[in-house]
Amino acid sequence: MPDQRSIWERTYNRKGFVAISALTALTAACGSDDDGDSAAGGTTTETTKELGGTLHYYNWADYVNPKTYPAFTTATGVKIKKDFFVSNEDLQAKLQGGARGYDLAAPTGYMVKILAEADLLEPIDWAKIPNATKNIDPKFKGLPFDPNDEWSVAKDWGTTGFVYRTDLVKEKPVSWRDFYDLATGPYSKKVTVLDGAPEVIGSTLVMLGHSYNSEDESELEQAKQEMLKLKPHLLAITSTEYKQMAIAGRAVLSLGWNGDGAAVAAKKPAEYIVAEEGGEFWVDSYVIPTGSKNPDAAHAWIDYVYDPAHNAVETEFTYYGSPVKRDLLKPVIDPEVFNNTDVFPEPSTIEKLEANAISPKGTKLRDRIWTEFKAA
Amino acid sequence: MAGRSGVGGPRYPAWLALPGAAWYALFFLGPLGIMAVFSVSRREGYTDVVYDFSLENFRYLWDPLYGDVFLRTFGLATFGTAATLLVGFPFAYYLARYARRKTLLLLLVIVPFWTSFLIRTYSWLIILSPDFVLFRFLRDIGVTGEDFSLIYTREAIYIGVVYNYLPLMVLPLYAALERMDWTLVDAAQDLGDRPLTAFRRVTLPLVLPGLIVGCLLVFIPLTGEYLIPVILGGDLTVFAGNLIAQQFLTARDWPFGAAIAMVVIGAMTVMILAFTRLAAREEQYGG
Repeated sequence: MPDQRSIWERTYNRKGFVAISALTALTAACGSDDDGDSAAGGTTTETTKELGGTLHYYNWADYVNPKTYPAFTTATGVKIKKDFFVSNEDLQAKLQGGARGYDLAAPTGYMVKILAEADLLEPIDWAKIPNATKNIDPKFKGLPFDPNDEWSVAKDWGTTGFVYRTDLVKEKPVSWRDFYDLATGPYSKKVTVLDGAPEVIGSTLVMLGHSYNSEDESELEQAKQEMLKLKPHLLAITSTEYKQMAIAGRAVLSLGWNGDGAAVAAKKPAEYIVAEEGGEFWVDSYVIPTGSKNPDAAHAWIDYVYDPAHNAVETEFTYYGSPVKRDLLKPVIDPEVFNNTDVFPEPSTIEKLEANAISPKGTKLRDRIWTEFKAA
Repeated sequence: MAGRSGVGGPRYPAWLALPGAAWYALFFLGPLGIMAVFSVSRREGYTDVVYDFSLENFRYLWDPLYGDVFLRTFGLATFGTAATLLVGFPFAYYLARYARRKTLLLLLVIVPFWTSFLIRTYSWLIILSPDFVLFRFLRDIGVTGEDFSLIYTREAIYIGVVYNYLPLMVLPLYAALERMDWTLVDAAQDLGDRPLTAFRRVTLPLVLPGLIVGCLLVFIPLTGEYLIPVILGGDLTVFAGNLIAQQFLTARDWPFGAAIAMVVIGAMTVMILAFTRLAAREEQYGG
């Protein structure tokens, strides 16, 4: 979820959006995937290669530090085959369609539950991942989508809030109410929201003092009314392009994820805000898809990245929060990343947040509201 | 049309149709059947499809909200067909009758097909951007206001539709016009028809088959169009195609998605039958 990037967006990241024609950009993007499969290369030193075989890792793009692949291969002898998905639904559709042979994937929490219920996951054997057992922050165990930790181990976590351009927005918004007021007022038509019913409806519910996961029809109705007022002021509904729009200054206020917010702030004067009222707290988790040929390699990967030093390398690359205990991470991680509140929000901030736990009934109710919102 | 060309032609053994028929049965009728079954099933839990007969999905669709979406889709398809016809006919006419470098011009019509539909549509994002040279110029000379922007608007969707579907209209029209015997038009004019009357009484009936094909080629896929509204329209409007994609990919309600698709297919069948019947009658009177 943090990373619903299509190839389009990754292209824009590298080359800048308006500067060049899409044609050139796309040809370039297809030709040069800097995540290329060089994992097995460069391993000249002889090491303890107990495992061997191949790990087929299905993941969001740019969600693993490229250095980690060869390091893991060196440590375990396991080669890595990579494949990428652009959305949780993309992963689900592939597994449900019968694709087999993936050993490891990293969907968002709500999707873990859906996949587990559809019998598309293999169980996690915690005895094989002593590092995770030892180093995981207990907060990331027994999460609502997997209460008994049977199917998943947390990988990264983050928040859903909004990012605004501090040079183009004079006011200092801190809440969803501010977001709505500014969006429907002075910054009309310079605002985007994610293309996701849970995020937009949930954040609006939270603004109104309700639960992110509410299934109360009158509460949802109130949220819908607010959203319908917001609609005419939107520039676009997008999960993949708002980062570029914000960097270009075409959008000055965007409902989105913390990693994208941090990415905008790295290039332009901008700030990512977790709204005062609260919002979504999401966790992406390792799972082992049904039909894995090498579940031992999957366990080995999880165990490897749960070593605090290895985990620090990951966090310094992804800028998403780590589920490893803070005190174990502190001595080994770049202090700048450790103290960046976009990556690691204050505990007081996290307390206000909720994880997506929408039921099938809630999904149906949200779907109709979403259609009405988009059709308005 | 079919009747005419069939008469007197050589007869081929019927089994020659077998591979084609098998292909259609397997990959067209098969999925259609599955969809029909889905549309009367229901979703349970997050993803499961329970196969029991119920018209619940269709009842749920009976809602002004979805009615509006269908009407808007019909509007878009009609607009696209009319607009490409309006732009495409004069062009095809010129191409077939007057153009010197026919092959070159024809090539220019076809060349865009060599590039992916997605890339072509994304490149319009750059052209429609307020930072594009044309719009900067218009702004500088004061034709458009400071805030003028086409990107992510309805107009952007319309522009994208006309651009993308134009070749589908031009090619069959050109094929029909190319085969025209222009001496017939000359004869009509020699016998006293004014140019417009000759066009209506001679040219139009003769190119009608091509015109019908062009209209169908544009209209049918437009009823399922969902990428142009997402890319150029900023995803701010919903058409039937978007609604279906949303059910399959994000709401995960396959039965409901299948029901919407069945309604679209049903409505389209009725409209196309009506259209071809009307057109066939035209053709008879004209000929």
